[in-house]
Amino acid sequence: MDQEKKLSEQESLLIIQQMIQTAKQEQKDDGKGWILWGWLLFAASVFTYINLKTQWFSNYFFWNIFGIASLLLLLFSIIRVLFFKKTRKVKTYTAELFHKLNIGFFISLLLIIVAINRGVSPVLGFSLLLGLYGFWILIYGAGLNFKPSIIGAYITWAFAFAGLFVETFDWTMIFHAMAVLLGYIIPGHLANIEFNKAHGQEK
Amino acid sequence: MFKDLDPILHSQLRLAVMSLLISVKEAEFTFLKEKTNSTAGNLSVQIQKLKEAGYIEVIKQFKDNYPQTICKITSAGIKAFEEYVKNLQGYLTQK
Repeated sequence: MDQEKKLSEQESLLIIQQMIQTAKQEQKDDGKGWILWGWLLFAASVFTYINLKTQWFSNYFFWNIFGIASLLLLLFSIIRVLFFKKTRKVKTYTAELFHKLNIGFFISLLLIIVAINRGVSPVLGFSLLLGLYGFWILIYGAGLNFKPSIIGAYITWAFAFAGLFVETFDWTMIFHAMAVLLGYIIPGHLANIEFNKAHGQEK
Repeated sequence: MFKDLDPILHSQLRLAVMSLLISVKEAEFTFLKEKTNSTAGNLSVQIQKLKEAGYIEVIKQFKDNYPQTICKITSAGIKAFEEYVKNLQGYLTQK
């Protein structure tokens, strides 16, 4: 870029537009987190539903597997951050906000999981979990101006609300799987497609 | 009567740097170089001018034994940029 070139007003405006657009690309999320957690949660719900019908294992067997998988993923993330940390060349306001919200989300998640293990009915507990998912999905969608997530958040809340009135845990699992499919998986894949398109265009 | 456009901002590379920095919290020198498609020497000079004007803050540090230069826009920079855009709009609506 030649800095000494005389600029017209139109050229100035074009530079501003181009650079702000470039910076906006940095705010895009690849959706991989939603896809990974979405499919894990979906699989745990569906397998738990099948297990409730067939009684192969104890009722929460697949959620225990999910818990172990989550711990392994957490361990993997810690190792990656400690030893293979990729330094980001730019810090955006949304990334900072999401990082802080993630901490709040996981603490709240842990509280509900402990509450379920301490006696809160799993039928009600999973509705509370869905309520929390909806909250995070909405903030993500609003922060990135990503409509599929905003819609997904309201759908997740609808399932959370409906889940308060079901009697049996198999219905809870169906609602959970549906909410995760519409709130996590589909928006996650759409975000990934958009991200790849945007970054493909850049190259 | 239109106000003159701020000469510090009315330059291709400095305006590009400011437009990038206004949209993010902070950015590394290498990021600015890559996105503005400029040379390191030219970018250094322009960043220094923006810093002297008080429009940006430059933090030089070491990360994993490598030097790192981080730039972030200051509140004076935000004000100047907003004023520049306002004046620019004035010129464009007149035409």
